[in-house]
Amino acid sequence: MLGTAGCDAPQKALWPVTGLPGEAKPPFTPPGGGSIDLATHALNRLTFGPRPGQHERVLRLAKREEEAVAKFIDAQLAPEKINDDRAEFRVRRFETLALAPIGEFYEFQPGLLREELTRATLARAVYSERQFQEVMVRFWSDHFNIDLSKGDCKWLKPADDRDVIRPHALGRFPELLAASAKSQAMLTYLDGRVNRVRRPGDKPNENYARELLELHTLGVHGGYTQRDVMEIARCLSGWRIGRGLFKVGKVQFEPGLHDAGAKTVLGEAIPARKGMAGRDDFDDVLRIVAGHPSTARHLATKLCQRFIADEPPAAAIDTVAGVFAKTNGDIRQTLRALFFTDEFRVARGTKFKQPLHFIASALRATGAESDVGRPMVNYLVRMGHMPFEYPAPDGYPTRAEPWMSTLLWRWNFAAKLGQGRIDGTRVQADRLARRAGGMAKLAAHLLGRRPSDDELAAAKASGDALGLMLASPSFQWS
Amino acid sequence: MKQAKAHLHGNGDLQQTLVVVFLRGGADGLALMPAVGDDDYHRARPLTTVGQAEAIRLDDRFALSTAMAALEPAVKEGALSAVHCVGSDDTTRSHFEAQDLMEHGGHTGGGWLGRFLRFREQATGGALAAVALGQAVPESLRGAPAATAMQSLDDFSFSGGDAFVKSLEQLYSGETGVYGARARDTFDALGRIRNLHANDYSPAHGAEYGGGRFGRELRLAAQLIKARVGVEAVTVDLGGWDTHLSQAPLIGPLLRRLANGLAAFRRDLGAAMRRTTVVVMSEFGRRVSENSALGTDHGRGGAMFVLGGDGAEGRVIADWPGLKRDALVGPGDLPVTTDYRDVLIPLLRRHAPSADMARVFPGHEPKPLGQAVEAA
Repeated sequence: MLGTAGCDAPQKALWPVTGLPGEAKPPFTPPGGGSIDLATHALNRLTFGPRPGQHERVLRLAKREEEAVAKFIDAQLAPEKINDDRAEFRVRRFETLALAPIGEFYEFQPGLLREELTRATLARAVYSERQFQEVMVRFWSDHFNIDLSKGDCKWLKPADDRDVIRPHALGRFPELLAASAKSQAMLTYLDGRVNRVRRPGDKPNENYARELLELHTLGVHGGYTQRDVMEIARCLSGWRIGRGLFKVGKVQFEPGLHDAGAKTVLGEAIPARKGMAGRDDFDDVLRIVAGHPSTARHLATKLCQRFIADEPPAAAIDTVAGVFAKTNGDIRQTLRALFFTDEFRVARGTKFKQPLHFIASALRATGAESDVGRPMVNYLVRMGHMPFEYPAPDGYPTRAEPWMSTLLWRWNFAAKLGQGRIDGTRVQADRLARRAGGMAKLAAHLLGRRPSDDELAAAKASGDALGLMLASPSFQWS
Repeated sequence: MKQAKAHLHGNGDLQQTLVVVFLRGGADGLALMPAVGDDDYHRARPLTTVGQAEAIRLDDRFALSTAMAALEPAVKEGALSAVHCVGSDDTTRSHFEAQDLMEHGGHTGGGWLGRFLRFREQATGGALAAVALGQAVPESLRGAPAATAMQSLDDFSFSGGDAFVKSLEQLYSGETGVYGARARDTFDALGRIRNLHANDYSPAHGAEYGGGRFGRELRLAAQLIKARVGVEAVTVDLGGWDTHLSQAPLIGPLLRRLANGLAAFRRDLGAAMRRTTVVVMSEFGRRVSENSALGTDHGRGGAMFVLGGDGAEGRVIADWPGLKRDALVGPGDLPVTTDYRDVLIPLLRRHAPSADMARVFPGHEPKPLGQAVEAA
């Protein structure tokens, strides 16, 4: 059913756009510095790694490197202006991603939904021109983690990815948070849909309220109490997911399941509300937590951890938190501020790539033509980084250490890719080396700087320079 | 020092391994562990009953059927523990639902084994920490920090040649700190994997696995454990237990395959069995009385076995309600009097004493196992 055979015809029709597989691709100039330059740094952090010639294209955006990089950053911060038809064409074959309304998802095997969502994620990471959008989609997918294997999430997460995370990834945080709070998948994953208060004294389900404060907004040391958790759980009681004809998957407020009494959340009074007026508690709670100063700090810390360093410098966190607060959680402006801090500029090559980033960066760097099929997905499983499968609400870690034990599979992947031995993925190692201008230049393209003498000697001795550079210590970092 | 470090990083010689054998289809607890000392058992199962005389006695009430005779030495040596009326709180009696619930370790996302490996301690295991024998990684390993589905040693091969590895070693030799340590662990594992491929494997102590898939997979598990490549968890499936029709001729060969495989594995590992624990489980047991097709239908409480492990003692754990109609639940099923998670928790503790069981089994309130024995 999933076979690629049926896709050959449209692929052929697209050859004028993507280029024939055998078609000659132009030579390119890799970075020539002794250390990672600013353009490579920006490519490393804002994308899943540079493609052949991309470094040169960034530099061509302006005369001075600084201006060129600023232009590149601003372009990536406006994904809606970037044409992404070619990547979307690759994703279109995953038909389950386009289902609507949400009840339709239930007609599919969960295994198929999982496979298509995972492969689409990989395809976009490798081929989308809207690279930073994809990077942020991964960030928010972890921030608002939903594990496909919990209950109905296997049917509901594809819609959450499409309708919640993607449209808001570079939007405004309060809107993203509100969309997530009412997402069928989130209501299922953190039990919001069974948070009911039928009569006074019924205990609400606190699961979502706790993670909302601890993970999604204020952070664990954000200054809330157990009482705030309980009060928020009371406020959010009564939201459920409809069942039955025409209502499947519809998120509804039911006054009969809502605690109508007065509450106090983080010091702010919320009045008693009868009947349908009770739904206003939702807006109040989200306004209070999204606008809380601790939320700005928590989000700034996580963003700096992702984009600057595992132990982010305090000055950068202050700057970023300030912009987040001042702009009421405008994600683009917050990130723009981050990318123009001095701390960002100097923190080069300091982030260990998560496995998906590593795989995508290798496929991008080699200009690989890949169907991102089962062999790729298996590598993600082997390295413990299947998207949508992190088994706790806090999402995959961005710190280096938990990922360092995945080296064996990285090396294996690199060697196989270098030899062109991964099914469904084609790399033309010799042609790539010729386009770069020889082995030393190829290494410079992969490392973002001139290779050291040791690196060059090892590449020569290895018999597979491309694979070795992909497996090398430096390529694991971005 | 080197050993201690390697152990922390999951590739060491002190490695303990948990082998999880899942009997898919709902294995009949009364076939795995017949209550030969209970008169009602012989009345309820006139066709599949196991005679008192020929059975391998576990205690006054329970036995293994003769089909499982290969495990008699393990019973005699006190290496086998058996648990009856064990299961999950699933009441749907649906294979799919019950397997998911049991493999997830509760109404939660991710698998219990995956969460255990991910959260047990600060350091994560090596790249080969979890091996799923078969085509795919099972639900119990969802969310693991590393999980490799494997059907043969080929799935485990390293694709770089000698020159490649040597060059790589040179490049990583300059790395210090955790990164350097992990790299050295990885080269160590790589060397062991390459040895595995270089040498033919012959099981030790005359162990014979037989030709079936289950035996082959256990043989591979033993090979990996003995090669010390850092395998901390292995999952193996044995299917075919959904015996709605003519159970008697179906279940005998299955019991034999299970017992022969486990016995060969134990013999093959020898002393290494002290740092290896095998646990056998199934999604649910089966109805006490036979149906008109001489089979049994989906039930609740079933049986579990635990084999090996350091300090393990063979014992029978069963809060046994008897087989009278009023002791049974639903349409006539053995109740679940021991939660399967309470059997797993002490095993996991043995492998990682500081693991937070509230993260491995969220929402589960553990009960010590010993109580059940006294109550029985």
